[in-house]
Amino acid sequence: MQYFDVLGLAPRLALDLKDLEKRFYAKSRELHPDRFVRAPHAEQQRALELSALLNDAYRTLREPIARAEYVLKNSGFDIGEQRSKDVPPELLEEVFELNMALEEADQPQIEAAGVRFDKLRAEIDQELATRFGQWDQAAETGTLAQIRGLLNRRRYIENLLRDVNVHLSN
Amino acid sequence: MAYSDKVVDHYNNPRNVGSMDKADPNVGTGMVGAPECGDVMKLQIKVNPATHIIEDAKFKTFGCGSAIASSSLATEWLKGKTVDEALDIKNTDIVNELALPPVKIHCSVLAEDAIKAAISDYKAKSTVETAVTA
Repeated sequence: MQYFDVLGLAPRLALDLKDLEKRFYAKSRELHPDRFVRAPHAEQQRALELSALLNDAYRTLREPIARAEYVLKNSGFDIGEQRSKDVPPELLEEVFELNMALEEADQPQIEAAGVRFDKLRAEIDQELATRFGQWDQAAETGTLAQIRGLLNRRRYIENLLRDVNVHLSN
Repeated sequence: MAYSDKVVDHYNNPRNVGSMDKADPNVGTGMVGAPECGDVMKLQIKVNPATHIIEDAKFKTFGCGSAIASSSLATEWLKGKTVDEALDIKNTDIVNELALPPVKIHCSVLAEDAIKAAISDYKAKSTVETAVTA
């Protein structure tokens, strides 16, 4: 996987962000245009391209969610799949109820839901961290499938929290 | 991107919005969603147990215009069909009728999923019911 390669890392989901940052700066210095002023044009070009890749890699890998999506995509998972598979029915039920509350502008219910979904997101993040470690130990497709399920739920919750916050700030 | 007249019509005058009693043994409920866009769709059918004809259909969708139009159209089509006929409704029929653009095809898929979910809920309930009365 290119993004890991360019930073000299093996594909891992649980990354040490300090180490990642250090690698990014070291590589950035290596590829700095100043070091290539006297180099042949082709080499300058190559350094420029690598530096663009390096920037993309760092931006993606430093965010756990973006990192997981990158690994999933490069492991043959379709991220953009827009279906309810992998979303538990209870969550759909709850999403529906919250939307009803938003429509009816039921303030106390919206506030309570905001708190509940915040907590749910924290729980999902915790479980994601566990699964990340698991995948790093033994790169099994089953673990990735579970991670995708968690990411789907998280996205739902993320969208809802955005709606809740918009509502509460009005 | 402009919505087709039919989408706009269903969006402005959605048919059969509402809900039915989930506990009613003749009512099947399908709840589906798309995590990516945050859409959630509830579709319900009321079936005559003797004739297997869908006598009423209701929906409530939180989502974009195409998702609302797709489910609104689905409820119109469901009424009067038998449960088995309803299973033949394909998302492509909805795409064609509403002239949905490619980026909105997933809305029709969602509606088809909702129909299937409602029917399987009804079937699960009616077998339980038959088992109890038998």
